[in-house]
Amino acid sequence: MGHRPFHQTLVVIRKELKDSLRDRRALFSIAFSIVIGPVLVAFMMNRLADRQREAENITIPIVGQEHAPALIDWLRQQAGVSVTKGPDNPEQAVRDGEHDVVVIISNEYADRFRTSRPATVSLVGDSSRNASLPTIERVRRLLQQYNSEVGALRLITRGVSPAGVTALKLEEIEIATAQQRAVAVLTFIPMFIILAAFVGGMSIATDSTAGERERGSLEALLVNPVPRMALVAGKCIAAALLAMAAIVLTTTLTANIPRFLPLQDMGIRFRIGANEFMGILAAMLPVCLFSAALQAAVATLARSFKEAQTYMGVLVLLPMLPGVIATVSTIREESWMYIVPVLGQHVLVMGVLGGQPASPWAFVAAALIAALGAALLIRIMTTLFKVERIIFAR
Amino acid sequence: MIRVEGLKKRFGSVQAVNEVAFEARDGAITGLLGPNGAGKTTTLRMLYGVMKPDAGAIHVDDVDAVAAPQAAQGRLGVLPDGFGLYPRLTAREHIHYFGELHGISGAALRTRTEELLHLLDMSAIADRRTGGFSHGERTKVAIARALVHNPRNVLLDEPTNGLDVMSTRAVRTIVRRLRDSGHCVLFSSHVMQEVSALCDAIVVVARGQVVARGTPDELRVQTGRENLEDAFVALAGAELIEE
Repeated sequence: MGHRPFHQTLVVIRKELKDSLRDRRALFSIAFSIVIGPVLVAFMMNRLADRQREAENITIPIVGQEHAPALIDWLRQQAGVSVTKGPDNPEQAVRDGEHDVVVIISNEYADRFRTSRPATVSLVGDSSRNASLPTIERVRRLLQQYNSEVGALRLITRGVSPAGVTALKLEEIEIATAQQRAVAVLTFIPMFIILAAFVGGMSIATDSTAGERERGSLEALLVNPVPRMALVAGKCIAAALLAMAAIVLTTTLTANIPRFLPLQDMGIRFRIGANEFMGILAAMLPVCLFSAALQAAVATLARSFKEAQTYMGVLVLLPMLPGVIATVSTIREESWMYIVPVLGQHVLVMGVLGGQPASPWAFVAAALIAALGAALLIRIMTTLFKVERIIFAR
Repeated sequence: MIRVEGLKKRFGSVQAVNEVAFEARDGAITGLLGPNGAGKTTTLRMLYGVMKPDAGAIHVDDVDAVAAPQAAQGRLGVLPDGFGLYPRLTAREHIHYFGELHGISGAALRTRTEELLHLLDMSAIADRRTGGFSHGERTKVAIARALVHNPRNVLLDEPTNGLDVMSTRAVRTIVRRLRDSGHCVLFSSHVMQEVSALCDAIVVVARGQVVARGTPDELRVQTGRENLEDAFVALAGAELIEE
C-alpha cells in the first residue's frame, strides 16, 4: 500500500501529459512562446549589427566641397568613408531623417585656412535620435583628427614640437568584457526563458484544475480512492514537465542564434556554449515545479475556466517584471535576490550569460527555495481540493 | 451493501439532507426517488466521499465511509451527477485511466476493459476520442470507467437523464445484469416510471427527508392508491408530478 500513492501520481502525470499533447491550441501557444524569444533576440541583434555596419561604412554629405579640396581628399582616403554632395537645405534634411549628419564648409574656409586662422566647419545633427549618434560621433572624430593632423604640421613648419601643445593624452580603457557588453543587449533573454516556463505549464495548470471542474470530470476523478495529494502532485508535476521542455527548447534555439547571424561584425561575442547552456538549465529547471504549482493553485481558486485564464494572463506578467526593469536600468546582483523565486533565476541566468556565473551555492539556494515554495503550494492545493465550495464551484 | 443512518447536511440556511436513513441490499436494485432538489445528489455525494456529512453514519459493506472514505471508495463504482469526460481521450483510455488509479494494470486491465466494452456494447467506439460522442455514448463511457474495478456496490445518479429510448433501455439492461450477478445497485431518479420498472426497493425522498420506503406494492398499500403515480404524488407532494 505504501508506494501506491506514488504510482497513482505517475498515472495522473501520464494522463495529463497525453491529454495536453493532444490539445492543438495549447501546443500552438507553447510553440509560439518557445520561438518568439529567440526570434526577437535574433531580430534585435541583427538590427544592431546592421547599425554598426552602417556606421563603419559612412557616406558624408558635404555642402561647399569646393572650398576645402584638401579636406575632401583626406576624408576620401580614410577607410570606409565616402563623400557626396550635400543637400540644399541641410537642417531640413536632417530633421526629415534623410541624413544622420550633414557637414557644411563655410564660404570663407579657404581664406581663413590659408592664413592659418580657425576655419568654420558646421556639423548638422540631431542628438535626440539614438540611431544617428554613432554616425555623428564618427564624423566628429574624423574632423578632429584632421584638425590635429593639420595643426601638428603647422607647428612643425614653424619649428615647434607638436608634443608641447598636447597637454593630455587621452586613453579610453573599456573594462566591460566583450561578453558583458553583449549582456547589455541580451538582458531580456532570461525574461523570455522564464516566460516560456510559465506559458509551457499554463495549459495543464488550468485545464487539469479549473477546466476539469468546469467539464464536470473532477467529481468523477475524486470518487477514485486516491489521496488528494497524489492527484494534486500529479497535475503540478505534469505541468512542470511541459514547462521544463519549453525551457530546454527555447534555450537551445537561443544558443543557436550565432549560427544564423554574423555577430562578430558587431564586436560582441555572444556565445551560449555547453557550460552556459548547463548553467541556464541549472538555474531555470528547479523553478518549474514552483511556477506550475503557483499557476495550478491560482486556477483552482478561480470560479471558472475563463476566470482562471484571466488570472494566468496576469501571472505571466509577474516573471517578466525583473526583465522589464533590467532593460531600463541595470539590476545589480545582491545575495538576497537569489532566494526570491523567479527574480533569483533571472539574476542567475544573467550571471551565466555575462560569463560570470554565481557560486554553486547560489544555484543550490535558489533551487531549494523554489522546491520549498512548490511543496508549500502543493500542500495548500491539496487542502483546497478537499473544500466542497471549491470542488463544486459554488 | 450500503447502510445509511441519520445523515444530515446543511448548506448555509438550507437543510439539504435531514435524518436520511435507508439500506440498499446486495443483489437488489434500490431506487432513490424524489423531485429535483430533494437531496438525492447530496446524499449520494456523501456516500461516495466527496462531501462530508454534518452528522450520521454511512457503511459500505463493513467499511465506515465517514471515517475511511477512500476505503469505501474502493468498494464503490460511481456515476456522478453531471459526469464529465476528457474530450481528447478515447473511450478505452478513460477506462484505463480509472483502472490504473484503482491499482489495476497490465493484462488484468486489458482483459477487464475488453469485458466492459463488450458488456456495454461499445467495441465500435472504443478507440475514438469522446469529444464527438452522443449523450448515450458518453453515459456508457462513464459507466464503464465506474465499473472498471468490478465494485461490489454501484451508485448511479440519474443515469438515464436526457437519454433516448434505446440508450435508456441499454442502461436498464446493465443495471439488471449487475443486480443478477449479486451487486448492490443504488440509483437515483426523479422519473417514477423508471423507478417502478426497475427497482426492487424504493426510498422516496422529499425536502431532504425520507417520506416512504418499500417495494412498489408496499408503497401502493401504504398510500391506499391503486395507481403508482398517485401514490408518489401523495407521498412526495405536488412537486413530483410537475417533472
